[in-house]
Amino acid sequence: MTRVIEVPATFDDRSFESFAAAFGEWPPEEKVLVDARGAQWASPYGLLGILTAGQALAEARRERPLLTAPTSEDVRRYWARIGFFRYAEELFEVHGKIPRAPTGPSDVLLDVTPIRGTDDVHAVVEKISESAARILHGELGLEMKATMRFSMALSESCQNIVEHAGTSGWVAVQAYTFRRRLGRRVAVIAVSDAGIGFRRSLESTQAKRFGERWGDGAALEAALIQNVSRFRDPGRGQGLAAIKRFLDQWQGKISIRSGTARLAIVPAWDEDVPLSEHLPFFPGAQVQILIPAQADETR
Amino acid sequence: MIQTIRIGHLLRETVATPYRHLVTRPTGAAIRGRIQAVLAASECLTALLDFSGIELLDFSCADEVVAKLLLAAEDRDGRFLVLCGLREDQHEAIEHVLTHHHLAVTALRDEDDGTPRLLGWVTADAHAAFGCLCERGALSAGELAAALDWPSARAEAALEALAGHRLVQTDGERCCPLPLA
Repeated sequence: MTRVIEVPATFDDRSFESFAAAFGEWPPEEKVLVDARGAQWASPYGLLGILTAGQALAEARRERPLLTAPTSEDVRRYWARIGFFRYAEELFEVHGKIPRAPTGPSDVLLDVTPIRGTDDVHAVVEKISESAARILHGELGLEMKATMRFSMALSESCQNIVEHAGTSGWVAVQAYTFRRRLGRRVAVIAVSDAGIGFRRSLESTQAKRFGERWGDGAALEAALIQNVSRFRDPGRGQGLAAIKRFLDQWQGKISIRSGTARLAIVPAWDEDVPLSEHLPFFPGAQVQILIPAQADETR
Repeated sequence: MIQTIRIGHLLRETVATPYRHLVTRPTGAAIRGRIQAVLAASECLTALLDFSGIELLDFSCADEVVAKLLLAAEDRDGRFLVLCGLREDQHEAIEHVLTHHHLAVTALRDEDDGTPRLLGWVTADAHAAFGCLCERGALSAGELAAALDWPSARAEAALEALAGHRLVQTDGERCCPLPLA
Protein backbone atom coordinates (compact mmCIF):
# COMPACT_ATOMS: atom_id res chain seq x y z
CA MET A 1 0.00 0.00 0.00
CA THR A 2 1.20 3.50 -0.80
CA ARG A 3 -0.23 6.65 0.73
CA VAL A 4 -0.40 9.39 -1.90
CA ILE A 5 0.11 12.93 -0.59
CA GLU A 6 -0.94 15.44 -3.19
CA VAL A 7 0.95 18.72 -3.25
CA PRO A 8 -1.62 21.51 -3.72
CA ALA A 9 -1.48 23.35 -7.05
CA THR A 10 -0.73 26.53 -5.11
CA PHE A 11 1.26 25.40 -2.11
CA ASP A 12 1.56 28.01 0.63
CA ASP A 13 0.90 28.34 4.35
CA ARG A 14 -2.88 28.14 3.80
CA SER A 15 -2.99 25.12 1.51
CA PHE A 16 -0.38 23.47 3.77
CA GLU A 17 -3.24 22.08 5.88
CA SER A 18 -4.53 19.83 3.10
CA PHE A 19 -0.95 18.58 2.60
CA ALA A 20 -0.58 17.85 6.34
CA ALA A 21 -4.00 16.18 6.55
CA ALA A 22 -3.12 13.73 3.79
CA PHE A 23 -0.49 12.04 6.00
CA GLY A 24 -3.12 10.87 8.50
CA GLU A 25 -1.62 9.45 11.70
CA TRP A 26 2.08 10.27 12.17
CA PRO A 27 4.19 8.58 11.14
CA PRO A 28 2.13 6.89 8.41
CA GLU A 29 2.55 3.13 8.25
CA GLU A 30 2.37 2.94 4.46
CA LYS A 31 5.03 3.95 1.99
CA VAL A 32 4.48 7.63 1.12
CA LEU A 33 4.34 9.14 -2.34
CA VAL A 34 4.41 12.93 -2.44
CA ASP A 35 2.80 13.79 -5.73
CA ALA A 36 3.85 17.25 -6.92
CA ARG A 37 2.97 16.74 -10.58
CA GLY A 38 0.09 19.21 -10.43
CA ALA A 39 2.02 21.89 -8.53
CA GLN A 40 1.89 25.27 -10.25
CA TRP A 41 3.50 27.39 -7.55
CA ALA A 42 5.00 26.78 -4.12
CA SER A 43 6.14 29.25 -1.50
CA PRO A 44 9.35 28.57 0.46
CA TYR A 45 7.07 27.51 3.34
CA GLY A 46 5.49 24.83 1.15
CA LEU A 47 8.80 23.54 -0.18
CA LEU A 48 10.29 23.31 3.29
CA GLY A 49 7.15 21.44 4.37
CA ILE A 50 7.90 18.72 1.80
CA LEU A 51 11.50 18.43 2.99
CA THR A 52 10.39 18.37 6.62
CA ALA A 53 7.97 15.53 5.88
CA GLY A 54 10.81 13.62 4.21
CA GLN A 55 13.12 14.27 7.14
CA ALA A 56 10.48 13.23 9.70
CA LEU A 57 9.81 9.99 7.80
CA ALA A 58 13.54 9.24 7.69
CA GLU A 59 13.91 9.96 11.42
CA ALA A 60 10.91 7.70 12.11
CA ARG A 61 12.77 4.99 10.13
CA ARG A 62 9.96 4.69 7.61
CA GLU A 63 10.54 3.44 4.09
CA ARG A 64 12.19 6.00 1.82
CA PRO A 65 9.30 8.05 0.37
CA LEU A 66 8.75 8.82 -3.31
CA LEU A 67 8.43 12.28 -4.80
CA THR A 68 7.15 12.98 -8.30
CA ALA A 69 8.46 16.28 -9.64
CA PRO A 70 6.09 18.92 -11.04
CA THR A 71 4.98 18.40 -14.63
CA SER A 72 5.48 22.07 -15.43
CA GLU A 73 9.02 22.74 -16.61
CA ASP A 74 8.88 26.30 -15.27
CA VAL A 75 7.91 25.04 -11.83
CA ARG A 76 10.64 22.38 -11.87
CA ARG A 77 13.17 25.01 -12.91
CA TYR A 78 12.16 27.29 -10.05
CA TRP A 79 12.31 24.47 -7.52
CA ALA A 80 15.76 23.63 -8.85
CA ARG A 81 16.84 27.28 -8.65
CA ILE A 82 15.91 27.57 -4.97
CA GLY A 83 17.89 24.39 -4.27
CA PHE A 84 14.91 22.21 -3.34
CA PHE A 85 15.86 19.15 -5.38
CA ARG A 86 19.42 19.11 -4.00
CA TYR A 87 18.04 18.12 -0.59
CA ALA A 88 14.87 16.38 -1.79
CA GLU A 89 17.07 13.80 -3.53
CA GLU A 90 18.67 12.99 -0.16
CA LEU A 91 15.28 12.30 1.43
CA PHE A 92 13.06 11.05 -1.40
CA GLU A 93 13.31 8.80 -4.37
CA VAL A 94 12.59 11.53 -6.90
CA HIS A 95 10.82 10.71 -10.15
CA GLY A 96 10.70 13.09 -13.09
CA LYS A 97 13.23 15.11 -14.99
CA ILE A 98 15.19 17.38 -12.68
CA PRO A 99 16.73 20.38 -14.42
CA ARG A 100 20.12 21.74 -13.48
CA ALA A 101 19.76 24.73 -11.20
CA PRO A 102 19.68 27.86 -13.38
CA THR A 103 22.10 30.63 -12.51
CA GLY A 104 21.78 34.41 -12.77
CA PRO A 105 19.66 37.03 -11.00
CA SER A 106 16.57 35.77 -9.21
CA ASP A 107 14.12 36.61 -6.45
CA VAL A 108 15.68 33.98 -4.22
CA LEU A 109 17.46 35.71 -1.34
CA LEU A 110 18.55 32.48 0.25
CA ASP A 111 18.39 29.01 -1.27
CA VAL A 112 16.96 26.15 0.72
CA THR A 113 19.65 25.73 3.39
CA PRO A 114 19.91 23.11 6.11
CA ILE A 115 20.35 24.37 9.67
CA ARG A 116 22.22 21.81 11.73
CA GLY A 117 24.24 23.99 14.11
CA THR A 118 25.36 27.50 14.95
CA ASP A 119 27.89 27.55 12.10
CA ASP A 120 25.00 27.24 9.67
CA VAL A 121 23.31 30.26 11.29
CA HIS A 122 26.50 32.28 10.81
CA ALA A 123 26.73 31.18 7.19
CA VAL A 124 23.08 32.03 6.50
CA VAL A 125 23.42 35.53 7.97
CA GLU A 126 26.64 36.09 6.03
CA LYS A 127 25.01 34.96 2.80
CA ILE A 128 21.76 36.91 3.17
CA SER A 129 23.57 40.17 3.87
CA GLU A 130 24.75 40.23 0.25
CA SER A 131 21.27 40.22 -1.27
CA ALA A 132 19.02 41.55 1.49
CA ALA A 133 19.85 45.22 0.92
CA ARG A 134 19.28 44.89 -2.84
CA ILE A 135 15.83 43.37 -2.45
CA LEU A 136 14.53 44.87 0.80
CA HIS A 137 15.75 48.40 0.18
CA GLY A 138 15.90 48.41 -3.60
CA GLU A 139 12.70 46.53 -4.40
CA LEU A 140 10.52 46.67 -1.31
CA GLY A 141 11.31 50.25 -0.37
CA LEU A 142 12.26 49.46 3.22
CA GLU A 143 14.75 51.71 4.98
CA MET A 144 18.31 50.40 5.09
CA LYS A 145 18.01 49.79 8.83
CA ALA A 146 15.20 47.32 8.11
CA THR A 147 17.71 45.18 6.23
CA MET A 148 19.69 44.57 9.41
CA ARG A 149 16.56 43.82 11.39
CA PHE A 150 15.45 41.39 8.73
CA SER A 151 18.78 39.58 9.10
CA MET A 152 18.33 39.61 12.89
CA ALA A 153 14.89 38.02 12.49
CA LEU A 154 16.44 35.39 10.22
CA SER A 155 19.22 34.71 12.71
CA GLU A 156 16.88 34.36 15.69
CA SER A 157 14.47 32.10 13.75
CA CYS A 158 17.28 29.77 12.68
CA GLN A 159 18.70 29.67 16.21
CA ASN A 160 15.34 28.38 17.46
CA ILE A 161 15.95 25.22 15.45
CA VAL A 162 19.42 24.73 16.92
CA GLU A 163 18.31 25.40 20.48
CA HIS A 164 14.84 23.87 20.65
CA ALA A 165 14.08 21.42 17.86
CA GLY A 166 16.34 18.59 18.92
CA THR A 167 17.11 17.91 15.27
CA SER A 168 18.09 19.85 12.18
CA GLY A 169 15.85 22.01 10.00
CA TRP A 170 15.68 24.17 6.93
CA VAL A 171 15.48 27.82 5.96
CA ALA A 172 14.75 29.63 2.69
CA VAL A 173 14.15 33.28 1.89
CA GLN A 174 12.49 34.66 -1.20
CA ALA A 175 10.83 37.80 -2.53
CA TYR A 176 7.68 37.52 -4.61
CA THR A 177 4.49 39.37 -5.43
CA PHE A 178 1.75 38.54 -2.96
CA ARG A 179 -1.16 39.19 -5.27
CA ARG A 180 -4.03 37.39 -3.56
CA ARG A 181 -3.93 38.96 -0.14
CA LEU A 182 -1.84 42.10 -0.51
CA GLY A 183 -1.13 43.03 -4.12
CA ARG A 184 2.44 43.97 -3.22
CA ARG A 185 5.92 42.48 -3.23
CA VAL A 186 6.92 40.69 -0.06
CA ALA A 187 10.08 39.16 1.37
CA VAL A 188 9.42 35.87 3.10
CA ILE A 189 11.53 33.89 5.54
CA ALA A 190 10.44 30.28 5.90
CA VAL A 191 11.95 28.08 8.61
CA SER A 192 10.92 24.50 9.28
CA ASP A 193 12.16 21.59 11.34
CA ALA A 194 11.03 18.05 12.06
CA GLY A 195 11.86 18.30 15.76
CA ILE A 196 9.97 18.00 19.01
CA GLY A 197 7.74 21.05 18.47
CA PHE A 198 6.83 23.87 20.85
CA ARG A 199 4.59 21.81 23.14
CA ARG A 200 7.24 19.25 24.04
CA SER A 201 9.94 21.91 24.22
CA LEU A 202 8.00 23.93 26.80
CA GLU A 203 6.11 21.15 28.56
CA SER A 204 8.39 20.73 31.58
CA THR A 205 8.25 24.42 32.52
CA GLN A 206 4.80 25.53 31.28
CA ALA A 207 2.31 22.65 31.28
CA LYS A 208 1.41 23.03 34.95
CA ARG A 209 0.83 26.77 34.58
CA PHE A 210 -1.66 26.25 31.75
CA GLY A 211 -3.36 23.25 33.36
CA GLU A 212 -6.10 21.71 31.21
CA ARG A 213 -5.53 24.31 28.50
CA TRP A 214 -2.05 22.93 27.84
CA GLY A 215 -1.52 21.81 24.27
CA ASP A 216 0.06 22.91 21.00
CA GLY A 217 -1.95 26.16 20.91
CA ALA A 218 -1.11 27.09 24.50
CA ALA A 219 2.58 26.32 23.88
CA LEU A 220 2.62 28.64 20.85
CA GLU A 221 0.86 31.32 22.91
CA ALA A 222 3.46 30.98 25.67
CA ALA A 223 6.34 31.32 23.20
CA LEU A 224 5.03 33.95 20.80
CA ILE A 225 2.77 36.07 23.00
CA GLN A 226 4.35 35.66 26.44
CA ASN A 227 7.96 35.28 25.22
CA VAL A 228 8.49 32.22 27.40
CA SER A 229 11.47 29.95 26.86
CA ARG A 230 12.23 26.47 28.17
CA PHE A 231 15.53 27.77 29.54
CA ARG A 232 15.59 29.24 33.03
CA ASP A 233 18.03 31.92 31.86
CA PRO A 234 16.04 35.19 32.19
CA GLY A 235 17.59 36.55 28.98
CA ARG A 236 15.88 33.88 26.89
CA GLY A 237 12.71 34.36 24.89
CA GLN A 238 13.71 37.78 23.59
CA GLY A 239 14.31 36.67 20.01
CA LEU A 240 10.65 36.21 19.14
CA ALA A 241 9.77 39.38 21.08
CA ALA A 242 12.25 41.35 18.99
CA ILE A 243 10.95 39.82 15.75
CA LYS A 244 7.42 40.87 16.70
CA ARG A 245 8.56 44.47 17.32
CA PHE A 246 10.30 44.56 13.96
CA LEU A 247 7.25 43.15 12.20
CA ASP A 248 4.93 45.60 13.93
CA GLN A 249 7.04 48.48 12.67
CA TRP A 250 6.97 47.25 9.06
CA GLN A 251 3.42 45.82 8.96
CA GLY A 252 4.89 42.35 8.73
CA LYS A 253 3.39 39.03 9.72
CA ILE A 254 4.66 36.00 11.60
CA SER A 255 2.92 32.67 11.83
CA ILE A 256 4.12 29.58 13.65
CA ARG A 257 2.67 26.13 13.17
CA SER A 258 3.59 23.35 15.54
CA GLY A 259 1.91 20.00 16.03
CA THR A 260 -1.82 20.60 15.66
CA ALA A 261 -1.93 24.40 16.11
CA ARG A 262 -0.97 27.54 14.29
CA LEU A 263 -0.62 31.02 15.80
CA ALA A 264 -0.17 34.22 13.81
CA ILE A 265 0.39 37.87 14.60
CA VAL A 266 -1.92 39.27 11.94
CA PRO A 267 -1.30 42.74 10.48
CA ALA A 268 -4.19 44.98 9.39
CA TRP A 269 -3.83 44.07 5.70
CA ASP A 270 -4.41 40.35 6.31
CA GLU A 271 -7.52 38.42 7.31
CA ASP A 272 -5.82 35.36 8.73
CA VAL A 273 -7.12 33.70 11.90
CA PRO A 274 -4.78 34.43 14.86
CA LEU A 275 -5.08 30.97 16.44
CA SER A 276 -6.06 27.75 14.71
CA GLU A 277 -6.24 24.59 16.81
CA HIS A 278 -7.15 20.95 16.14
CA LEU A 279 -5.33 21.03 12.80
CA PRO A 280 -3.94 17.84 11.29
CA PHE A 281 -0.73 16.88 13.10
CA PHE A 282 2.53 17.75 11.36
CA PRO A 283 5.95 17.17 12.91
CA GLY A 284 8.21 19.89 14.34
CA ALA A 285 7.61 23.60 13.84
CA GLN A 286 7.09 25.76 10.77
CA VAL A 287 7.67 29.50 10.90
CA GLN A 288 6.86 32.08 8.26
CA ILE A 289 7.90 35.72 8.51
CA LEU A 290 6.60 38.06 5.85
CA ILE A 291 7.66 41.67 5.25
CA PRO A 292 5.61 43.59 2.67
CA ALA A 293 6.88 46.30 0.36
CA GLN A 294 6.09 49.63 1.89
CA ALA A 295 3.00 51.31 0.42
CA ASP A 296 3.77 54.41 -1.67
CA GLU A 297 2.49 56.78 1.01
CA THR A 298 4.99 55.42 3.55
CA ARG A 299 7.99 55.37 1.19
CA MET B 1 43.29 54.12 32.66
CA ILE B 2 41.04 53.14 29.75
CA GLN B 3 41.41 49.93 27.83
CA THR B 4 39.81 49.56 24.42
CA ILE B 5 38.64 46.04 23.55
CA ARG B 6 37.87 45.63 19.86
CA ILE B 7 34.99 43.18 19.59
CA GLY B 8 35.62 42.66 15.86
CA HIS B 9 39.15 41.44 16.63
CA LEU B 10 37.88 39.10 19.33
CA LEU B 11 35.27 37.71 16.92
CA ARG B 12 37.88 36.96 14.29
CA GLU B 13 40.09 35.30 16.88
CA THR B 14 37.22 33.30 18.35
CA VAL B 15 35.56 31.80 15.26
CA ALA B 16 37.47 29.97 12.58
CA THR B 17 35.78 31.70 9.63
CA PRO B 18 36.16 35.47 9.14
CA TYR B 19 32.58 36.41 10.07
CA ARG B 20 31.61 40.04 10.50
CA HIS B 21 28.34 39.22 12.21
CA LEU B 22 27.99 38.72 15.92
CA VAL B 23 25.18 36.16 16.03
CA THR B 24 24.15 33.08 18.07
CA ARG B 25 24.41 32.50 21.79
CA PRO B 26 27.45 30.21 21.72
CA THR B 27 29.40 32.86 19.80
CA GLY B 28 28.24 35.55 22.20
CA ALA B 29 29.21 33.45 25.21
CA ALA B 30 32.66 32.83 23.71
CA ILE B 31 33.17 36.56 23.08
CA ARG B 32 32.05 37.37 26.63
CA GLY B 33 34.59 34.86 27.95
CA ARG B 34 37.33 36.55 25.92
CA ILE B 35 36.32 39.98 27.22
CA GLN B 36 36.35 38.70 30.81
CA ALA B 37 39.81 37.21 30.25
CA VAL B 38 41.11 40.54 28.94
CA LEU B 39 39.59 42.38 31.89
CA ALA B 40 41.05 39.89 34.37
CA ALA B 41 44.52 40.59 33.02
CA SER B 42 44.06 44.36 32.92
CA GLU B 43 44.40 47.07 35.53
CA CYS B 44 42.20 49.53 33.66
CA LEU B 45 39.42 51.42 35.45
CA THR B 46 37.26 51.75 32.36
CA ALA B 47 36.91 49.24 29.55
CA LEU B 48 35.74 50.61 26.20
CA LEU B 49 34.06 47.86 24.16
CA ASP B 50 34.42 48.89 20.52
CA PHE B 51 31.81 47.35 18.19
CA SER B 52 32.93 49.22 15.07
CA GLY B 53 34.20 46.06 13.35
CA ILE B 54 30.84 44.31 13.72
CA GLU B 55 28.11 44.28 11.08
CA LEU B 56 25.07 42.51 12.53
CA LEU B 57 24.50 42.08 16.25
CA ASP B 58 21.48 39.91 16.98
CA PHE B 59 19.47 39.89 20.20
CA SER B 60 20.86 36.59 21.43
CA CYS B 61 24.41 37.86 21.10
CA ALA B 62 23.54 41.24 22.59
CA ASP B 63 22.18 39.35 25.59
CA GLU B 64 25.18 37.02 25.86
CA VAL B 65 27.85 39.68 25.39
CA VAL B 66 26.53 42.87 26.97
CA ALA B 67 23.72 41.91 29.36
CA LYS B 68 25.54 38.95 30.89
CA LEU B 69 28.75 40.94 31.18
CA LEU B 70 26.87 43.55 33.19
CA LEU B 71 25.10 40.87 35.24
CA ALA B 72 28.47 39.34 36.13
CA ALA B 73 29.30 42.55 37.95
CA GLU B 74 31.52 40.77 40.46
CA ASP B 75 33.83 39.66 37.63
CA ARG B 76 34.39 43.26 36.65
CA ASP B 77 36.33 43.96 39.78
CA GLY B 78 34.90 47.46 40.14
CA ARG B 79 35.55 48.44 36.52
CA PHE B 80 33.30 50.59 34.40
CA LEU B 81 32.11 49.45 30.97
CA VAL B 82 31.41 51.78 28.07
CA LEU B 83 30.27 50.79 24.58
CA CYS B 84 31.31 52.56 21.41
CA GLY B 85 31.20 52.12 17.63
CA LEU B 86 27.55 51.01 17.67
CA ARG B 87 25.28 51.46 14.68
CA GLU B 88 21.60 52.27 15.18
CA ASP B 89 20.36 48.69 14.83
CA GLN B 90 23.02 47.44 17.26
CA HIS B 91 22.12 50.25 19.64
CA GLU B 92 18.49 49.09 19.55
CA ALA B 93 19.35 45.42 20.07
CA ILE B 94 21.40 46.25 23.17
CA GLU B 95 18.78 48.70 24.42
CA HIS B 96 16.15 45.96 24.10
CA VAL B 97 18.04 43.28 26.03
CA LEU B 98 19.25 45.64 28.75
CA THR B 99 15.74 47.00 29.29
CA HIS B 100 14.52 43.42 29.63
CA HIS B 101 17.03 42.84 32.45
CA HIS B 102 16.63 46.33 34.01
CA LEU B 103 20.30 47.01 33.26
CA ALA B 104 21.99 50.05 31.77
CA VAL B 105 25.35 50.96 30.26
CA THR B 106 27.02 54.07 28.93
CA ALA B 107 27.47 54.28 25.16
CA LEU B 108 29.34 56.68 22.94
CA ARG B 109 27.91 57.28 19.49
CA ASP B 110 29.82 59.05 16.73
CA GLU B 111 26.74 60.99 15.65
CA ASP B 112 26.38 62.44 19.16
CA ASP B 113 29.82 64.11 18.99
CA GLY B 114 31.17 61.87 21.71
CA THR B 115 28.49 62.78 24.24
CA PRO B 116 27.78 59.72 26.41
CA ARG B 117 24.28 58.24 26.23
CA LEU B 118 22.51 55.75 28.40
CA LEU B 119 21.47 52.45 26.90
CA GLY B 120 18.97 50.28 28.72
CA TRP B 121 16.77 50.87 31.71
CA VAL B 122 17.12 53.54 34.40
CA THR B 123 14.48 55.65 36.12
CA ALA B 124 13.45 58.90 34.43
CA ASP B 125 15.12 60.83 37.27
CA ALA B 126 18.37 58.91 36.83
CA HIS B 127 18.23 59.67 33.12
CA ALA B 128 17.78 63.39 33.78
CA ALA B 129 20.58 63.35 36.36
CA PHE B 130 22.92 61.60 33.91
CA GLY B 131 22.25 64.28 31.29
CA CYS B 132 22.93 67.01 33.82
CA LEU B 133 26.23 65.40 34.92
CA CYS B 134 27.38 65.04 31.30
CA GLU B 135 26.60 68.70 30.68
CA ARG B 136 28.01 70.16 33.88
CA GLY B 137 30.59 67.67 35.10
CA ALA B 138 30.94 66.46 38.71
CA LEU B 139 28.02 67.37 40.96
CA SER B 140 26.99 66.65 44.53
CA ALA B 141 23.38 65.75 45.32
CA GLY B 142 22.82 69.30 46.54
CA GLU B 143 24.25 70.82 43.35
CA LEU B 144 22.20 68.46 41.20
CA ALA B 145 19.05 69.31 43.18
CA ALA B 146 19.72 73.01 42.63
CA ALA B 147 20.42 72.52 38.92
CA LEU B 148 17.23 70.53 38.30
CA ASP B 149 15.10 72.30 40.87
CA TRP B 150 14.51 69.04 42.75
CA PRO B 151 14.30 68.28 46.46
CA SER B 152 17.71 67.01 47.63
CA ALA B 153 16.32 63.52 48.48
CA ARG B 154 15.23 63.12 44.85
CA ALA B 155 18.67 64.12 43.58
CA GLU B 156 20.34 61.74 46.04
CA ALA B 157 18.14 58.86 44.89
CA ALA B 158 18.91 59.60 41.23
CA LEU B 159 22.67 59.66 41.85
CA GLU B 160 22.47 56.47 43.90
CA ALA B 161 20.66 54.78 41.03
CA LEU B 162 23.35 55.87 38.56
CA ALA B 163 26.13 54.73 40.88
CA GLY B 164 24.33 51.42 41.42
CA HIS B 165 24.32 50.81 37.66
CA ARG B 166 28.00 51.86 37.55
CA LEU B 167 27.17 54.65 35.13
CA VAL B 168 28.98 57.37 37.11
CA GLN B 169 32.04 57.52 39.27
CA THR B 170 31.81 58.74 42.85
CA ASP B 171 34.42 61.09 44.22
CA GLY B 172 33.65 61.89 47.84
CA GLU B 173 30.26 63.59 47.89
CA ARG B 174 30.27 64.22 44.19
CA CYS B 175 29.39 62.05 41.23
CA CYS B 176 31.05 62.56 37.89
CA PRO B 177 30.72 61.12 34.39
CA LEU B 178 33.03 58.22 33.56
CA PRO B 179 36.50 59.22 32.41
CA LEU B 180 36.53 58.53 28.67
CA ALA B 181 39.68 60.23 27.46
